[in-house]
Amino acid sequence: MNELREIAGKLLADGDVRVIIGWEHARRGARPVFITQPDEADKLIFDRRCVHNLATYLNPRRDQVSELGKIGLVIKGCDAKAVAGLLREAQMDRTDVVLIGVKCGGVLEENELPEALALTPDNVAPRCYGCDNREPTLVDFLVGESQPEPPRPIMTIDERVAALEGQPLEERWAFWTEQFSKCVRCYACRQVCPLCVCERCVVDKTQPQWIEASSHPRGNFSWNVTRAIHLAGRCVDCGECERFCPVGIPLTLVNRKLQHIVGERFGYKVSDDPESPAPIGDYRLDDQQEFIK
Amino acid sequence: MSDAPDTHGATAARYFIDESGLRALTAELLAAGTEVVAPVATDVCQSPSAIASSACLLPGVAPVDIDYKLLGDAAELDLSRGLPQLSLKQFFLPEHEALCRWHQRGIVTTIEEVPTSFAPRLVLAAKPCDAAALAVVDQVMNWDYQDELWNGRREATTVFNLACPVIDDSCFCTAVASAPDDTKGADGLLTPVEGGYLVEATTDKGRAFVEGHKARFTSVDGAPAAESRERQAADERAAARVRVAANLEIDPASVRDWIDTHFEDPLLATLAVRCNGCGACTSVCPTCHCFDIVDEEEGVGHGTRRRCWDTCQASTFTLHASGHNPRDDQHVRYRQRINHKYSIYPLKFGEVLCTGCGRCTRVCHAGQDIVEILAAIDVAARHPEPVDSGAEAVKP
Amino acid sequence: MNIYHPQLAAVTEVTDETVDTRTLRLEFTDEAVREGFTFQAGQFGEYSVFGAGESTFCIASAPTRKGYIECSFKAVGKVTTALREVNIGDTVGFRGPYGNSFPVDDWKGKDVLFVAGGIGLAPVRCVIWNVLDRRDEFGDVTIVYGARSVGDLVYKRELEEWGSRSDVKIVTTVDPGGQTDDWKGEVGYVTPVVEATAPKADNAVAVLCGPPIVVKLTLPVLEKLGFADDAIFTTLENRMKCGLGKCGRCNIGSVYVCKDGPVFTAAQMKELPPEF
Repeated sequence: MNELREIAGKLLADGDVRVIIGWEHARRGARPVFITQPDEADKLIFDRRCVHNLATYLNPRRDQVSELGKIGLVIKGCDAKAVAGLLREAQMDRTDVVLIGVKCGGVLEENELPEALALTPDNVAPRCYGCDNREPTLVDFLVGESQPEPPRPIMTIDERVAALEGQPLEERWAFWTEQFSKCVRCYACRQVCPLCVCERCVVDKTQPQWIEASSHPRGNFSWNVTRAIHLAGRCVDCGECERFCPVGIPLTLVNRKLQHIVGERFGYKVSDDPESPAPIGDYRLDDQQEFIK
Repeated sequence: MSDAPDTHGATAARYFIDESGLRALTAELLAAGTEVVAPVATDVCQSPSAIASSACLLPGVAPVDIDYKLLGDAAELDLSRGLPQLSLKQFFLPEHEALCRWHQRGIVTTIEEVPTSFAPRLVLAAKPCDAAALAVVDQVMNWDYQDELWNGRREATTVFNLACPVIDDSCFCTAVASAPDDTKGADGLLTPVEGGYLVEATTDKGRAFVEGHKARFTSVDGAPAAESRERQAADERAAARVRVAANLEIDPASVRDWIDTHFEDPLLATLAVRCNGCGACTSVCPTCHCFDIVDEEEGVGHGTRRRCWDTCQASTFTLHASGHNPRDDQHVRYRQRINHKYSIYPLKFGEVLCTGCGRCTRVCHAGQDIVEILAAIDVAARHPEPVDSGAEAVKP
Repeated sequence: MNIYHPQLAAVTEVTDETVDTRTLRLEFTDEAVREGFTFQAGQFGEYSVFGAGESTFCIASAPTRKGYIECSFKAVGKVTTALREVNIGDTVGFRGPYGNSFPVDDWKGKDVLFVAGGIGLAPVRCVIWNVLDRRDEFGDVTIVYGARSVGDLVYKRELEEWGSRSDVKIVTTVDPGGQTDDWKGEVGYVTPVVEATAPKADNAVAVLCGPPIVVKLTLPVLEKLGFADDAIFTTLENRMKCGLGKCGRCNIGSVYVCKDGPVFTAAQMKELPPEF
């Protein structure tokens, strides 16, 4: 943590960045913080409560943040993948941001706690299991001690997806109808997602109205499925969409299923290398095309 | 003690009912076809962080997801006193609601009215903050134009609160003119006591309900066993009020006036910086009532005009067709939320548009904390700084 | 019936004012409504095409003329595009009248100056007719109206009608470069033309409406001419949905454009927070 604070303080003092976005301790646990003065660097923390994907603050539509100037962003491995996604899609330049990576051993599922707990199968965020980027490579600095692998959760996301896949279609349909009927169309999932950066989201378009605005099941299915498909091949598994959902829809299951499909069909897995070509925006001559008859 | 005035200063008749009696009464209502809305513990929620953010975390109770639902069976009634995820708002201002339906064939157009009177129903074991919110929103719903859909549902509904033990340190009902045992917006109050619940009816509608089911209730006026129960109830309610008052104390009038005269103060911009504009806070809020009106075609020549929940936090909320947007950045939209709740609504209607339930803070996973924000504004209001204070802020 | 339930109105006239601005004349299909409908100059309504939605426009016809209402609009969004598709005989919806109005009765005995730019003439037009239909209650009536080009002038038929009246002074102008060879009016931006016209401010009121830039630049000129802040009236627009103060969308600070407006004096505008 001292290493993090020193680097952050120096970046600000030297004027290399105008704002550092990291985490701080607050009344209800760790939360994002925006510091502009070197002496505020002491506010920065990194522990297992630092779940938030801070790459969401790089959204070019956030004028208040972008007008501050060059950003120094503290990132975990999953967050780094999101930054890579933005770079890959030309939403920002590499020179717009200084990246301070932290070595991560997993985070807590429930992070709004006064202190970080040790990770156990009960309390670890399921999405951390099997993480391939615990020491991000898309960084200008990498701080912290190497961490052990996160414990295996009681039920992994892949196991939950497999359990659903094992159910007959009618049961799966009933499950998702029930889940999506809870949706209140607050768009928290979209707002917090670091890769949902469209200037005008498809659901906000009125000519024509592609997706109905009301939160009846028909409108909700349209919205949630459309969003999931728009993230296929782009989602970095940060789990923020599900964490932010005020009614607890298990969005990570949908996203993970689509990742399996993208992996099978395109041999592609999201990484924090912005040069690695993604299925959206790239093609290969040997791409599967059995659907073209 | 049995003559002690209720929270509205009039003497309320007091009754006792035990839990099995309460469930039997519920079963009787359901059997007669009356709708009963009550907190229900559900295992439908799949997301631990959603459970953690809003469920009952009282000692000795396993964390579960709680929602207000139409009961199918009296056994579903959850009396754990946890906080339902969404407020009672959805039963008075539904997430989407038909305003009219149209049918067009050639040039012949007919518009079908929607009903504005509803079958009587009961809300049981409501959170006092959720019931108080109904009375607050009544004001705007009757501002010159009477909203028959809202009023119709209000008229049809009898609300009995269940006194709240205070959920956690994000509650602040007493700071905004409510309380864990408030009966504003409700028709009566149940207070847990040994063996069951003390029941008070605080409006004519509440009294009529109790009278109509008199056999289920035991009158406690003058009964010897009553005194210790009365005392227990009074103590529990007073203790809850003290507990929640410790979370936040503000002077709402100073806060209101400070906001009104500091529109461009950087304080609010600084406090808003981590907000993602996700709108989760507005959806779980019992007093947020902003809505959109949309036409939804459902076939050739017919469809439904609906109103549906909207949020001032959405980027397109104030977007003009010309492309001009008076609120085009997130901190400005966040400012609007604070202004509307703690300054604009009080200036117009004399009431804060907030009952201190704390859901917005718990559901905000970006760390926006309304207790922190109100405390900061209260400090600024009571201790004005000199003009060039040089206070560093995250200014746009 | 609930407050959001619309009245039905049939389209009886369609006029293309300019390439992109259209006026519709509507008559309520219900006879009782048609006979009994009243409104004040400056009020607005929610006009709808079923299936597309509702849109907010001022009622552009005069309250002194019964039996019909009018609206003028540009096709910029979903509903206005659908409104451009309606023909004579089609049915549209209407809710209203909503909002406050120009205090025309307070202007009795005074001179009235109307300044409008572009499609801003639409809300002003209803006041102009309101005043002209009660002409002898008022002093001098002066109209200064400008648009980007001759093609952009709206209500051309009425501009001629007002020009032919001896009890109205009207100055029409187009921006430099917007004139045609046979243009007989002024050439110049609205603001300097108002200044050159130099209407008397003594015992007078001014009604000003137009694109934000026209309003912003003309207000100081009116002040210089001697018009007091509470003698200058304008009408604001903001995104609206319910039109009656409940959906929480159109407020500027604690002022609700649909209830406290849309008509405001310059004095009231200056009090508004910078959020419109």
